Amino acid sequence: MSTKSPTEADILRPIKNTSKTYFILFAVAALALGIFLVGWAYQLYEGMSVTGLSDWGTGGGVTWGLYIGAFIWWVGIAHGGIILSAAVRLLGMDRYMPVARLAEMLTLAGLSAAGFYIIVHMGRPDRMVTSVLGHYHITVNNSPLVWDVTVITAYFVLTATYLGLTLRYDITRMRDDLPEIFSPIYKVMTLGYTKEEDDVIERMVWWVALAIIIMAPLLLHGGVIPWLFALLSTYPGWFGAIQGPQFLTIALTSAISGVILISYAFRRAYDWDHIITDDVFRGLLLWLGFFCLLFLWLQLQQLVSGSFSPTTAHEAATASKLSHPAYIVPITMVLGVLAFIFATTIRPALFTKARAIAAAVLVLVATLVEKTYFVVAGLWYPAFNIYEATPGDYFPSLIEMSSVLGTIGLVTLFFLAISKVVPVVELHAVEHLRGDHGHGHEDETHEHESEPEVKA
Amino acid sequence: MSADDESFHPLGKEWESELETMLDDTEYDSDLGMEMAQDAMRVTKGELSEAEFHEKYHEDVMDEFGVDDRPTEEAYEAAQQEAKGTVGRMLDAFDGDGDQSRRETMKKMGVGAAVGLSAWGASAAPDASFGSTQEGDAADDDNDGLQWGMTIDLERCDGCLSCVSACSEENQLDQGVNWMYVLRHAEDGQTADDLGNHPAGGYENMLVRPCQHCTDAPCEKVCPTTARHTRDEDGLVLTDYDVCIGCRYCQVACPYGVNYFQWDEPDVAYEDIPSESDVLPDDLDPEDAVYSEYDDMGDRWVDGRAPRGVMSKCTMCPSHQDGRRGDEMVGMTACESACPPGAIQFGNVNDSASDPEKYASNPSRGRTLERLSLPSADEVEEELEDADGDDLEAVLDAVSFDGMGDDLVDNEHGLGILIALEITGEHMGEMGESEGTANLADYEQQVLDILEVVEDHGLDLGSQEVLADLRLADAPEEEEAEDENGDEDENGDEDEAEAEDDFEGPDEDDAQRLIEMFAGTAPSSFKLLEDFGTNPNIHYLGNEPGPNAEQVEGPVAYDSLELTDNRKDVLDDSTVTGGLY
Repeated sequence: MSTKSPTEADILRPIKNTSKTYFILFAVAALALGIFLVGWAYQLYEGMSVTGLSDWGTGGGVTWGLYIGAFIWWVGIAHGGIILSAAVRLLGMDRYMPVARLAEMLTLAGLSAAGFYIIVHMGRPDRMVTSVLGHYHITVNNSPLVWDVTVITAYFVLTATYLGLTLRYDITRMRDDLPEIFSPIYKVMTLGYTKEEDDVIERMVWWVALAIIIMAPLLLHGGVIPWLFALLSTYPGWFGAIQGPQFLTIALTSAISGVILISYAFRRAYDWDHIITDDVFRGLLLWLGFFCLLFLWLQLQQLVSGSFSPTTAHEAATASKLSHPAYIVPITMVLGVLAFIFATTIRPALFTKARAIAAAVLVLVATLVEKTYFVVAGLWYPAFNIYEATPGDYFPSLIEMSSVLGTIGLVTLFFLAISKVVPVVELHAVEHLRGDHGHGHEDETHEHESEPEVKA
Repeated sequence: MSADDESFHPLGKEWESELETMLDDTEYDSDLGMEMAQDAMRVTKGELSEAEFHEKYHEDVMDEFGVDDRPTEEAYEAAQQEAKGTVGRMLDAFDGDGDQSRRETMKKMGVGAAVGLSAWGASAAPDASFGSTQEGDAADDDNDGLQWGMTIDLERCDGCLSCVSACSEENQLDQGVNWMYVLRHAEDGQTADDLGNHPAGGYENMLVRPCQHCTDAPCEKVCPTTARHTRDEDGLVLTDYDVCIGCRYCQVACPYGVNYFQWDEPDVAYEDIPSESDVLPDDLDPEDAVYSEYDDMGDRWVDGRAPRGVMSKCTMCPSHQDGRRGDEMVGMTACESACPPGAIQFGNVNDSASDPEKYASNPSRGRTLERLSLPSADEVEEELEDADGDDLEAVLDAVSFDGMGDDLVDNEHGLGILIALEITGEHMGEMGESEGTANLADYEQQVLDILEVVEDHGLDLGSQEVLADLRLADAPEEEEAEDENGDEDENGDEDEAEAEDDFEGPDEDDAQRLIEMFAGTAPSSFKLLEDFGTNPNIHYLGNEPGPNAEQVEGPVAYDSLELTDNRKDVLDDSTVTGGLY
């Protein structure tokens, strides 16, 4: 591990330097997004029939598929920001301070991707404003979909506010080193800044963090998102009280995986070994293991209750889980990740960054597949399963599949762009690391290396 | 909204003072109003009976208002109506309209009692539905309003798919968009070969599945736009094609799978709907076929096939019900008109005189009316001209009543059934109040006309003798009367007259039995997935599919009628796979 002292120059590096790799990555991400945009344009031109979707019932298919699965996935990933921020601001887990802002940015990017999916999924996206907002005062009383849009919007606004507030401190102090071309942005963001506000902002941010931490896990991914499904008693694969906790645990596994990947990418690109230390990854991996355990535990609950003495329709839904590769493979992947993380707690030497990255990728793939299977299989096994064409078939079209790459491209572009405008590591984090350097930090690091499970 | 301890009102002090201000605004005594309100709350808590409450304030109310027509009971019901959907109501109170209607209602009810009674309603509506602010619920919750629906006699369905075809033709639906769907199913361990004809004339194990037009439609509840709505005036659950955003949550929430999304451009362009259809006149303005007028929001596009990107489902033909296609189409759907055995009965399910209710209340009778090929009264009259006399035998000799149906044993049987139909008919010849056409009412009228002709000919169809001969009454007990009173002529005459007077008319049970012997009975009836709380408005006669029932091949294949059963077969053609899979 590097013992370099973190400096302001370190966190300015992404803004000041642009490598060839940056351009290549930018091009690849733009291409991925571009391919999907072309596909979406074709979908708008031809209609939703270009997807692999159909009507459930006599129509031999499912009416919700990968778009909805990916929508849930992105909202889940967006939770990374909040977990990290909460850990840092509310619980005082300063070790994650260097990645907190990246995580908050992931929240904004993830929510943007999810919001994009809502639009892509609709048959008449052009009516979003007139039809949804125009009747909002009526529909918000009944429609879980409207609750969703409401909570996601509130979550986005709160997170953006939160990020905006914390950026004022950094931008003011580093103003001279930031590119002149963006000065209008900086001016707006630091409007009316005075030194006296720092303390106030810090307290405000604490409260906003508290508001988000209450809302996001409990109301969003432990609430309105699962309620889209869990409230429908006619789908045994969906219905029931467990979906709230289940969705939340799945969301948190994907969220932490997302933060691991983004953090690693920045650390590697800008030589931030001394800022985003190995210790951060060890800690994140342990948290990932904890949430994987909860994820699998709640899956087990469902398998047991769906197998022991289920209703006819519930039995069919559970039987599908036990035989369909889109369920078995992701669950096995998560189980594998859990086993690996458990092993690292017993033999810390098993931990490597490459393995941590692999674990994160596996979890992200697994959660996307599992969520899509959840959506699709729910519609395959309804309570009213008399139709010959039920369960139907579904295999996503190329356009649907490209949407996943396209939104990953979108999120990548978001990070590539924002990292050129504002520091993605908090000045506070550098100050904190520097202040603690000398004794505290080294000690802490040492401690973690010998007993990572204690601190995590 | 938290309840304040000092307030007697469940909605709290703030609400209470608002009400008090309202009372102050009126010309009446606020103190009396508030006192009554408090006691009204006690009534809700069971501390005071409704009658005691009424009595306690009768004099005060007379003094104050000069009249006491406090509709204690009606007010309670009105208040319940008013307060149903507590959440929606509370929210309504925040915007002008909701507040206004509450005020108006209170004025109508007599302000004093209303204050307490509205609170009563608020606390006495345990099953207040969450979605009650959406339009249409007011009409759905009482049983008096018009609610279109159907009775479908599954035991009469022979799976000919005429209804499916007619619906597709009428609405110009794409291939595989089967708003009306007919399937045959087998229970666990059965195959299609195990199934046979049903004695009622159809096939065993049929299921006819239009939209159920649920009173508590889950599709409406989840709609993020109000595009999916229930019409206030007739309870039809429809989709506003100009508002729907195509999120497909309604399709997900519907337990029956009746929704069909318009995944791409419909096969028939909007302006071509009439000309492409054999059943719509070519010169019909498409607007007349697909738009419907709403009191508060003008015309809405709710009928016919959907445009691209929005959801569609069975509409129960609103253009018919709205009279846009002529009065004779009101109370008729395309599928009902097309059904050869008359297994589909459409009408106002809140009206006992409507086809579906008549049919459901006495399926044997409904089946009999549908099965008989009734001659016209003129034909019968002509035949009677050649009759040798006006007694039963002469009439039966002259008219061939057994030509009305294959299963009729003889003429006597045929005439007996006609009379039995009249005896068992509660609303003979009447149709539902809102209907312009009703099959069963027409048939009943034909029966009445025929019987009238027979009576006009001179045969007394009400006489015990005739009815007894037709096995619709017990034989007269003449002989016994003569034996007992043989030597007292005067009394004997009197007794005979008494016997005539004693005749209580035809035996309804005999009449019912005669009909049941002809058309069979339908011992089972059900509503589909009723335990999910949807309150469907389709009433099925026949056996409900069991939990393990699976669709099997039906008597007529969809493709033989140029229909598509599984829509995915069509949609897969447009799925972008790059030829890879």
